[in-house]
Amino acid sequence: MKTTTKRMAALLACIMLVTLLAACAGNNNAPESGNAGNTDGAAGQTNNGDNAAVEEPEEPVVLEWLGYDSYAEPDADSAVVQMVEEKFNAEFDFWYVDAQKWDDNLNVKLAAGEMPDVLKIPNRQNIAKYVDQGILAPIPKEKFEELAPTYTAFIDENYPEAWDGVMFNGEIYAIPTTNLNGSYPTVVIWRQDWLDNVGIAKVPETLEEYEEALYKFRNDDPDGNGQKDTYGLSDFALPNILGAFGYPGISDFKQAAKGDPSKSLQFTEKDGQLVFAAVQPEMKEALAVLQQWYADGIIDPEFLTSENTTGYWADSQAFYNGKIGLTGMGMFYHWRHELDPSLPDDVGGGQYKAFMDAQPDGELAFGVPAVGPEGKSGTPQWDTTSHPVAITTKAAEDPRKLDTVLQMVEAAVTDYEYYLSVTSGEEGVDWKLDGDTFVNLSAADSVADQNKKGKNVLSVKVSYDEYLKKKDPFIYAFGDKYANINGYTSMFVPTVEVFEKNSSALNKLTIETYLKIITGESPVDAFDAYTEQFMRIGGTEVEEAVNAAYDELMGR
Amino acid sequence: MATKMNFGDRLFLIGVYAALLVLVLSMMLPLLQVVTISLSPPKVVNSYGFHLFPTVLDFSGYAKVLRYDAIWTAYGNTVLRTLLGTAITLLLTFLGAYPLSKKRLPHRKFWTGFVVLTMFFSGGMIPTYLLVKGLGLMNTIWALVLPSAISVFLLLIVRNFMIALPESLEESAKIDGANDVFILFRIVLPLSLPIIATVGLYTAVWHWNAWFDSMIYIQEESKQVLQLILRRILLEGQDVSVETSASMQAAVSTETVKMAALVVSVLPIMCVYPFLQKYFVKGTLIGSVKG
Repeated sequence: MKTTTKRMAALLACIMLVTLLAACAGNNNAPESGNAGNTDGAAGQTNNGDNAAVEEPEEPVVLEWLGYDSYAEPDADSAVVQMVEEKFNAEFDFWYVDAQKWDDNLNVKLAAGEMPDVLKIPNRQNIAKYVDQGILAPIPKEKFEELAPTYTAFIDENYPEAWDGVMFNGEIYAIPTTNLNGSYPTVVIWRQDWLDNVGIAKVPETLEEYEEALYKFRNDDPDGNGQKDTYGLSDFALPNILGAFGYPGISDFKQAAKGDPSKSLQFTEKDGQLVFAAVQPEMKEALAVLQQWYADGIIDPEFLTSENTTGYWADSQAFYNGKIGLTGMGMFYHWRHELDPSLPDDVGGGQYKAFMDAQPDGELAFGVPAVGPEGKSGTPQWDTTSHPVAITTKAAEDPRKLDTVLQMVEAAVTDYEYYLSVTSGEEGVDWKLDGDTFVNLSAADSVADQNKKGKNVLSVKVSYDEYLKKKDPFIYAFGDKYANINGYTSMFVPTVEVFEKNSSALNKLTIETYLKIITGESPVDAFDAYTEQFMRIGGTEVEEAVNAAYDELMGR
Repeated sequence: MATKMNFGDRLFLIGVYAALLVLVLSMMLPLLQVVTISLSPPKVVNSYGFHLFPTVLDFSGYAKVLRYDAIWTAYGNTVLRTLLGTAITLLLTFLGAYPLSKKRLPHRKFWTGFVVLTMFFSGGMIPTYLLVKGLGLMNTIWALVLPSAISVFLLLIVRNFMIALPESLEESAKIDGANDVFILFRIVLPLSLPIIATVGLYTAVWHWNAWFDSMIYIQEESKQVLQLILRRILLEGQDVSVETSASMQAAVSTETVKMAALVVSVLPIMCVYPFLQKYFVKGTLIGSVKG
């Protein structure tokens, strides 16, 4: 009896194996039946119709998952993960890599020959390196169109540049992801009550009006305490001023000084060529203005250590404490000063709340970027693309893995409730739909809590504009109203290796020179020597490589 | 006991106390600041100036931290790691240093040189990672205590200390009929207590503060050490990149919560340390060879 059972089991296992192989092969040849891993029902019929073991469910596809922002280790038993596993007949084996030391941590593992199946790439410049190391597998465009048609069309229409960001040597190496916030420029925030106190009726628009207001903030005692203890601006508003002359050479002084090259080595297009924004002659004019302002005491001398002295990056303690009257850097939702009538306990944006806590009588106004002598203006904009998610060569060995990931992407842009689940947690526990209104029941979760509950873990970082606006209509309506200002979009740059090699030295040189000129330690003319040195120690090399790659990409 | 002090002595004492007071203040003030912030609402935290004493009390930070399980499991892991790591290090260092301190060890120069070599040349991070992985230590506490079990530097310190022990002690023990093991544990060990205390202190502090190896070798959050969890809490929200990918501003821990986490994790060791310190001071005095 026992042996019979064993034999039966062995036979059954064999049949299952054959079925499995058949199903996989079927996937390759007949993509319409690619839903093999889906429990929706259709899969069983199309694939296994003529097979003996019709009712045998397929083995779940196992995915080693690092396709998320890892602030904590996701709980594999969380409702969201369970739901997704069931829906796609998948099993997730989560990798956890410390988000703040991502490259340090991951590179060791990659160098040791370990790789996950699905991998987020925070630094796009790494794509080239990873491809060379044989870590990333290309994803044919046809696969996208076949398994994620809605998402592909969404990218094609709204963010075509996102494809460029994941291309290398003419092949797509990752699933592009988008960032709706990148289409809103960073904001300009004024102290409205200070403007009133110094007798300025209109929120300043041109550089002259800016100058007038800022000088009055310094000299006319806008806070009425009888002391000359106020300044015009600190570091957050500097990119705005640079923007009055051209593409801001540095988009975030604090982060650039901390060594983040993406904040100082932005490209801009001039005469069809990509050039470094930081070394353009118009930046010299801008620095001359800032040097004068610094000498006249308009710029808070503590801008060197940033107006954000503690806490969340968008906080400006100098602004909260009535030391400066102009700030920026944050997004519209940080400083949102209109309350959502549908939420009874809405307190506005986080920074607005902090400001009102500190200055109960204060009042702020959303402004526009300063318009310079040649009519230029704008604040830096965030990248409209987000971290792409790639498939490794290990995962490419089993075509079901890529299929599953693409199906997950498609589900997140076609099924609103699925989208809400993978981004906001368990329905009824973490959120609910009140008619059409999204009600977040777990708004206080920190990013780590979110990860633990499985929020934003299995969304493949999909951020679908339509659903975002459907979810938070009030906030985006606010953004459309107040952040409808000029911005400098983050220019897409193809990934080249020389850039990565030189970026840290070039960033250091740039931020040092800018700070020295503003504080008057170096004369404005030092800018010429800086430009020359910048180009010599790698600037030229990088520009040439980037332009060659760009031309190739654009098919020129 | 001096009953009378002349002017010079007094001046000297005043100078000493003044210097010590400055030293104490330089350590106490930042600590006070941390404690105060952990007890203050964000409004106070964002205001300028020193925060030496809380003006408005707010315990929400502690309430949140105390509910944060990861801190407590990490606490246990750190304590375990420190105890286990220190015990292993002490045992191995002691047993390794003793033979190297003996002139009659064959090829002593070679063995010493062999050990010292590893102090100057190490495999580097990736080979070490491969080794740990190959030994099957990944994701276990052994990955934290074994690779660092012997520090050559500490080994040499212990060895040099043992060399300084008079040979005659051992000889007389031999004459009395003691064997090598007996000599090691009954003669050498008690005499080496001060250096053992020193090595133990170094190692324990190192283990308490280490986080990088935990980040590299440990996958599961339930096995991570305290410093790594703390680091993650403290750095939360300081970087824009969080939001360039998340769709909207995420709730990040406030400074209040961060400092509360800091206090919670520092407080026990601060309470224990003065009592431990007594033994460390004692340890360096007892057992020393007199005359």
